[in-house]
Amino acid sequence: MSFLRFALRRLLEMAVTLLGASFVIFGAMYLAPGDPASFLLSGRSASPAALAAINAQYHLNDPFAVRYFRWLGQIAHGDFGRSIEYRTDVSRLLADRLPSTLTLVAMSLLLVLAIGLLLGWVGAVRGGATDSTILVTTTVAVGTPSFVAAVLLQGLFAVRLGWFPTGGTGQGFADTVWHLTLPAVALALYLIGMLARVTRAAMLEQLAGEHVAVARSRGVPERQVIWRHVFRNALGTVLTTAGLIVSTLLICTVLVESAFSIGGIGQLLELATTTKDFPTVQAISLLIVALFMVVNLVVDLLHPLVDPRITLNDRRSAG
Amino acid sequence: MTLTPRRPARGGRAVSLALASLSAFALVTACAGPPRQSGDQLPFKLSAGTPAAKGEIDSFSWATYAEPPTLDYIQAFDYPQNTILSNVCESLMRWTPQLTEQPGLAEQATNPDPNTWVFDLRPNVRFHDGGTMTADDVVFSLNRQMDPNNSSAWASVFQNVDSITKTGPLQVTVKLKSPDSQFLQYMATTAGVVASAQGVQAAGKDYGTTGSLDCTGPFKLGTWTKGQSLNLDRFDGYWGTKAKAKQVVFKFLTDSSARTNALLTGDVDGGYLIPSESYAHLRNTSAGTLYFGEGLSTVNVNITNMQGALGDVRVRKALSLALDRSGFVNTGLGGAGTVTTSLTAKAAWSADPNAQAAAFNGLPPTAADIAQATQLVKDAGATGKTLTMATSSIGQDVSLLATAVQSAGARIGLNIQLKTIAPNAFTALFTDPKARDGIDMFPETYYLSITDPMDLLTNFQTGSYQNYSGYSDKSYDDLAKQAIGTYDPAQRLSLEAQLNQKAADQVLWIPVAEWPTSLFLNKRITGAPTTISYLYYPWAADVGAAQ
Repeated sequence: MSFLRFALRRLLEMAVTLLGASFVIFGAMYLAPGDPASFLLSGRSASPAALAAINAQYHLNDPFAVRYFRWLGQIAHGDFGRSIEYRTDVSRLLADRLPSTLTLVAMSLLLVLAIGLLLGWVGAVRGGATDSTILVTTTVAVGTPSFVAAVLLQGLFAVRLGWFPTGGTGQGFADTVWHLTLPAVALALYLIGMLARVTRAAMLEQLAGEHVAVARSRGVPERQVIWRHVFRNALGTVLTTAGLIVSTLLICTVLVESAFSIGGIGQLLELATTTKDFPTVQAISLLIVALFMVVNLVVDLLHPLVDPRITLNDRRSAG
Repeated sequence: MTLTPRRPARGGRAVSLALASLSAFALVTACAGPPRQSGDQLPFKLSAGTPAAKGEIDSFSWATYAEPPTLDYIQAFDYPQNTILSNVCESLMRWTPQLTEQPGLAEQATNPDPNTWVFDLRPNVRFHDGGTMTADDVVFSLNRQMDPNNSSAWASVFQNVDSITKTGPLQVTVKLKSPDSQFLQYMATTAGVVASAQGVQAAGKDYGTTGSLDCTGPFKLGTWTKGQSLNLDRFDGYWGTKAKAKQVVFKFLTDSSARTNALLTGDVDGGYLIPSESYAHLRNTSAGTLYFGEGLSTVNVNITNMQGALGDVRVRKALSLALDRSGFVNTGLGGAGTVTTSLTAKAAWSADPNAQAAAFNGLPPTAADIAQATQLVKDAGATGKTLTMATSSIGQDVSLLATAVQSAGARIGLNIQLKTIAPNAFTALFTDPKARDGIDMFPETYYLSITDPMDLLTNFQTGSYQNYSGYSDKSYDDLAKQAIGTYDPAQRLSLEAQLNQKAADQVLWIPVAEWPTSLFLNKRITGAPTTISYLYYPWAADVGAAQ
């Protein structure tokens, strides 16, 4: 199958899945208890006229199907509706807040890839006491939820030592990096541990393989053995894990953004859920699902590139 | 007026949004001992104010627990928006840091007859975008509150208003359907804000969320980085005393421990609504000073269901009698509070000492009397009955009050079950009758938006929005109506004292404690008022350099 056909097919699948997800997301808001109109009025008695005005404004009285298809149609035009709580277009809310979240996720991902791969590699190659140390450290990391890490990091490095700010995102590149370091570490910690362990296991498996013994017996330099025959072969597993990591990062920002007062989409999702802000919750949910799928697609497309043994067809049946 | 109740995070409950580390154990321990006297409470004193600023300052930063969804004045009824908006948009009248009323954008307000209020406007008041305030702007601004399509948060203030008309270039006349002593007082809150008609119309549906608010206050809206921070810039064309700071930066710190940390490290210079679990930390830091001021707030148990055992006033009385109020103040409010059996704060009555005495004399004692309470439950035939109280981890004031009620019930033969509600869903208790299904009571802190007890006592009128239990008593309604229609403060307060007594006799809610405002200022800055006036008074203009 040609690469193009494969990509097209995956895109089509994505579109269908997104459509299904949109239905579930839109429908789920109906099953949740609570009435957006009552939140809008927030503790005030409303005249029937006011209630009618709100219901008309947000089309709260239309049947489900009508509202669902209107919503889909709007999204097709890039219009996610108007936030009930913020009284502004949801697309603008997202545009305002997405950069913070994406920067945070990007910084965390860099940390996870750099440190996770390094630790896994070193553990597998060095063995012995180094490996044991890494194993223990990564076990602790994997056992530390990001919100706990957030509290610990903030208490030590922001309050006690004063090296970093307690929260916020800062302005300009250097300031942003400085502000986002602690939250990025809090978010990355668990995943660093996970990636390190996956990398280590995958490399150990390769190290035990016959091809490595053959290469070594042929006198291939150890550095080349590790790079070509061990790491590259292990990369497939690592890549799959990396895809999972990006998705996890997107979801876990909710936990860290509040702790560090980063007004990204994670925090927005939390607040919007609180206030029954339907349009906002729906848009963010759909956005996360879409990002999730894009990441998966990229991983699938990269797979044959890093591991020539895998053909596009294999990937389809496998994934 | 139902200004308070959104989530416990709103109204006086804002302190709550805490990711509280719940030391429920502490209260259980406290409750197990004999009831404490108020002398046992940790020392705290109310400050009338903070030292005046010594000079100007370039900028200071301020913590708020949430980002205002919008700064449109007709939607501003919650802490975060009012804390900011009070510096940008001014009202016809002004609430002072001493919680009294003064002329604001109106130089004077007169009522030639009980159904008419005439506002003579201050001349030469400039809007931020350059226009000059006229009667048209006032008529436009107030009419926006009355338009049902706008679903204004302040609509109930205007329910008695017949018409608002311009009667001169700088004169506006409000005609009432019946005399309303509360109306003028609310003109000192956000309900009385005057914005430029042209500015509001030009902004259209985006008014309050982007661009200018085009009001008259000492600060104008600067950069608003959504989700992060909002800047106010000093307005050089201000008619009154110029602000001491060139800029104020509000930072939205939703997590309570993050907020405390930011104050401790100097990442922000100050803030109101300090989480009670952080009082000890902020009291003992060299970074700055923790102040308490008059809050006009009381912590109560709101009775939401009179169909069950609580329908018998003896059971309500018994619960109130069995409550360990001092224990709750010490643990739930971090020691900063005063036990009370009055629904309304003492300071709300300060305009007339006689009325204050009438409102408070003869209220039940604050100390617990378990024997009497047990007997009352027995008399009512309610021994062993089950009641449900809502609670949430929203803040230790909420969760520990629920624990205290449960413990009180256990000691007098009532089985009180706690229903834990997710912090986010707790809001719904105030807005959604379905959310209150199966719940007999929940903790509610209530603050007064004006220095008049009626702001709370109005809740027990038949059909009132917060009258969740459906209490209905014609004599109460008549008295309330009479009080609202009485302009003379002493006369009105004496009627309200009777209402306060009635509400107490019937135990319509169970009052627990008065809760002061909290304020932290670090060493750089000073001058902010300590009272709840900051919701409607341009407090940031008073803040300047401490040295």
